[in-house]
Amino acid sequence: MKAVMVIFNQANTERVEFLFDRLNIRGYTWWSEVKGRGSESGDPRMGTHTWPELNSAAMTIIPDEQVDVLLDNVRKLDELNKEVGVRAFVWNIEKAY
Amino acid sequence: MSLYKNAVKKPITTMMVFTAVIVMGIYSLIYLPVDLYPEMDPPYISVITSYSGANASDIEINVTRPLEDMFNTVDNLKEIYSVSSDNVSVITLEFDWEADLNEASNDVRDAIDLVYGFLPEGVERPSIFKFDMSMIPILFYAITAEESYPGLGKILEERIINPLNRIEGIGTTGLMGSPRRSIYVEADPVKLAAYNLTIEQLGNTIRSENMNMPSGNIRMGMMDYQLRVEGELAESYELNNLMVGHFQGSSVFLSDVAQVRDTLRDVALDERIDGSQGVRMMVMKQSGANTVTVARDVKNAIAELQRDLPPDITVREIIDTSVFISDSVNNLSQTMLWALFFVILVVLFFLGKWRATFIVILTIPISLIVSFIYLFITDGSLNIISLASLSIALGMVVDDAIVVLENISRHIERGTSPREAAIYATNEVWLSVIVTTLVIVAVFFPLTLVPGMTGVLFSQLGWIVTITVTASTIAAITLTPMLASQLLELKKRVERPGRFSHLKTIEPFLVWFEGSYEKTIRVALKNKKKVVAGGIAIFIGSLFLLGLISTEFMPESDESRLNASIELTTGLRVEETMKVARELEDIIRERYPEALVMAVSSGSDDAGGISALFSQRGPNSIDITMRLLPVSERYRSIWEIADDLRRQLELIPEIVEYSVTTSGGGFGSNTVDVEIYGFDFNVTGALAHQIRDAIRAIPGAEDVQISRKDDRPELQVVLDRNKLAQNGLNTAMVSSAIRNRVTGMTASMLREQGDEYDIIVRYSEDTRSTISDIESLVMTNATGSRISLGEIGRVEEYWSPPNIERKSRERIVTVSAVPSGIALGDLAQEINRVISSVDVPPGVMINVGGAYEDMAEGFMDLGLLLLISIILVFLVMASQFESFIMPFVIMFSIPFSFTGVILALFITNTTLSIIAALGAVLLIGIVVKNGIVLIDYINLMRDRGHPLNEAIAISGKLRLRPVLMTAATTTFAMLPLALSRGEGSEIWSPMGISLIGGLVFSTMVTLVMVPVIYGIFSRRGERDRIQKIRNKFKFMNGNGS
Repeated sequence: MKAVMVIFNQANTERVEFLFDRLNIRGYTWWSEVKGRGSESGDPRMGTHTWPELNSAAMTIIPDEQVDVLLDNVRKLDELNKEVGVRAFVWNIEKAY
Repeated sequence: MSLYKNAVKKPITTMMVFTAVIVMGIYSLIYLPVDLYPEMDPPYISVITSYSGANASDIEINVTRPLEDMFNTVDNLKEIYSVSSDNVSVITLEFDWEADLNEASNDVRDAIDLVYGFLPEGVERPSIFKFDMSMIPILFYAITAEESYPGLGKILEERIINPLNRIEGIGTTGLMGSPRRSIYVEADPVKLAAYNLTIEQLGNTIRSENMNMPSGNIRMGMMDYQLRVEGELAESYELNNLMVGHFQGSSVFLSDVAQVRDTLRDVALDERIDGSQGVRMMVMKQSGANTVTVARDVKNAIAELQRDLPPDITVREIIDTSVFISDSVNNLSQTMLWALFFVILVVLFFLGKWRATFIVILTIPISLIVSFIYLFITDGSLNIISLASLSIALGMVVDDAIVVLENISRHIERGTSPREAAIYATNEVWLSVIVTTLVIVAVFFPLTLVPGMTGVLFSQLGWIVTITVTASTIAAITLTPMLASQLLELKKRVERPGRFSHLKTIEPFLVWFEGSYEKTIRVALKNKKKVVAGGIAIFIGSLFLLGLISTEFMPESDESRLNASIELTTGLRVEETMKVARELEDIIRERYPEALVMAVSSGSDDAGGISALFSQRGPNSIDITMRLLPVSERYRSIWEIADDLRRQLELIPEIVEYSVTTSGGGFGSNTVDVEIYGFDFNVTGALAHQIRDAIRAIPGAEDVQISRKDDRPELQVVLDRNKLAQNGLNTAMVSSAIRNRVTGMTASMLREQGDEYDIIVRYSEDTRSTISDIESLVMTNATGSRISLGEIGRVEEYWSPPNIERKSRERIVTVSAVPSGIALGDLAQEINRVISSVDVPPGVMINVGGAYEDMAEGFMDLGLLLLISIILVFLVMASQFESFIMPFVIMFSIPFSFTGVILALFITNTTLSIIAALGAVLLIGIVVKNGIVLIDYINLMRDRGHPLNEAIAISGKLRLRPVLMTAATTTFAMLPLALSRGEGSEIWSPMGISLIGGLVFSTMVTLVMVPVIYGIFSRRGERDRIQKIRNKFKFMNGNGS
């Protein structure tokens, strides 16, 4: 079991929803408005006057074998337009109830 | 859920909401009346009091003054005017425009109640008269006739006026100068004396003969019969056979002592239309009725009714106020269509996409339609003010939609789906869209608060633009995202654009322009001091030009009609006046082929009704009304013709005074009035003449007139009271006896087919036309013996003032002048200069007023308005930028917009009227909006970490298009207004000119000056801010918090 956190520009909302749907990822936690900026590139997403855009985040706990499929598709989504941006981060799940 | 999110997610609901708005708007548009100006009731109440037998000064002292003193305490009263003339006092109370006239008239009635007990006996109860716009005739007809002329009054009454009154919206219909039948019984005083008869006896005989009397009823058998004596005369010739007395045993018949003439009443008013005899018909509409439809109905009805008239009667239109109204409304509607066309072109030029352009343009009809709903709800009308307001708003309503759409397209180009782009892109800009709208509202909303007459005009402009712009903002954050999500497509750019596509033609040009603008900014930022100095020099330079621009109140418009009121020597009899009138007709016919119809009336109608109280006409006045060819079909303007007519009038020696007016009421009044306050008639009269002569010498001063008419020659019968007493007579008896002999005694009526005609008994004319004739008038004394007037008094020639005018409860004489060829402001200056060199006697005060005063007041109001607008705009901007400095930086562009206005007025040789000045005030909002777009982005760029100069240059480059686009849409929307030359354009084109001038110039300056000034103000702030933040968080240095 791995946790994957997908953080993406709000403008990608529908695509991420579609992505989860297609990959049969049923469970996730969704934050529709989060702020943040990339470590290397990309504009900050602050929801302020200066940086008006916002990100959303979705965290899903999926079986290990599904992780690469998901990451692969996230990469494809990112390549549509680098400016808009989407990232995914994976870590282990020690225990679950 | 936010508004725009809902709108995008529920496109059908959104569409239905806006469809509902459109449907309601179209419904409103259909039912909106069309008029020239917004409905406004002038705040005047007149109080008319008659006191028969009193002359002007008696009236002044006994009636006018007590009433005036009492009225002075009425609430909201602005000014009291009064005219006291023989027998009647007319007091006009002017109230504030905001005053409730119903309440005011109640107050006036209360005041009359209080004072009425103190007025002399014999004063009739004062009547209150409220002035109403519906009293101004909307149609004037000239009706001429040949053989039918004697019966014209009756024919018209039956066949035209009665049917017309059935038309909906018609107020009253009046005839002027219609011939009336009268039966005169003219007695020979010598024969009367021979048969020992008097006029009164003749009159009483006619009265007692000409009657039908019910004489009870008789029961006969089963029936009950009414008994009547029928003595009424059927024909006027029967009068001849009336027995009026006995003399030496034989009967004396009326025909023995008098001549019966069944004829037309004595001429007091002579109406000629194009030289032939006729009458004038006026048609008034009801208050609130639609002038255009009423006029159309009347015209249709008259065309129909005319067929039933005898063939020699022709009905022709002299004035149709609805033509000017519908022409100027059509003209403005056309102007708006052109504006729409230009705006579409501009949007297409910048966006280069049909669908995007369509989405943006769609906000125009929707926002305009909302204002129709507003007009409908508030009982407004489509008039030149509301249409011009729409025209002004037209260029501004697309701005918000453009900003929103641009951001959405940017997101879509980055690959976001249109639906999401619509939501998130709108989310990014909705606040700044509202703020820029607030700036516009901050300028236009105060217009609704302006007091006075200008306020009535401006408030509609204020409301309409406020509502339209607000509606456009709402549409921009709901309809625009919705449409964008539906219509825009997510697709890659066309790989190979066509040769003449937007990408190949306009786009490179815009890119080049952006590049060179960026270079300009960089150069300017290196030479800040020079740029600022240059800017200040331009501004100050333009202020000098201001001195060369003349000022006026309201621009006059060419309504293709001309009116001349001419005053001949006082006391002249109407027959002489008519001779001059014929002479004038010849001159007009010869010199002005442009005149379509010319109606000339000489003298005054003694029974002219209530209007006679307000115009001071006498047998010596001539009134000429001309309708000219439409503006497009003649070479000479109405003003040129008026000037030429004035020159011609100057040449006729009989003419004492004249005034030639070219406007048909409304706001065309354009006089400078010199008001001379003072009690002594001789002193103020002499001063008035002196000032009149001085003003006449000023070039450009025309129609110089003194309001107080020259003393009128009068024949006064001075009675000897001792002799009166000996004869047992009193003044009233003598005066009625004189009246019966000279004017005539209305003995009875001849009834014929339901109409009644006066039978008037009097002396024949040749026995009452000299002073000695008057002195030998014979009357009976108390003992029944006959005496002549000469025995109890004498007839003296005497001069008396015909009227006494007062203003603010003081006697006043007004010398008025109309500018021609020079501006009102200049004329007032010249007049002030002339007056300062006149010696003013003690106790006399001089004041310069009239339209000039209104103009000064209007400019004061506008100055205040400017101040309020600037403060409000500052408030909005300061809170948007959360800064005190930024608003100042942006406001630096305001002075340059005024420079632009001055330049535009100077180049086009337009006078600075209230309307042009209003344009300058409105510019604040539009200009500031440009500044906000630019400054906001510079701030953004700096916050995103770009160095100051770099941020300014980049923002300049990126924001150039939106700035140019908003400026261009507004400018091009105004262009047709500024250039229009048709009916009514004179009123609005100055505003278009000043707005365009100001906008173009200030945009050019904004683009260079504002960045430079931003640079100057921000350098310090930058360094300080970094230092401030470092000071705030000292914990990293290991000390402090």
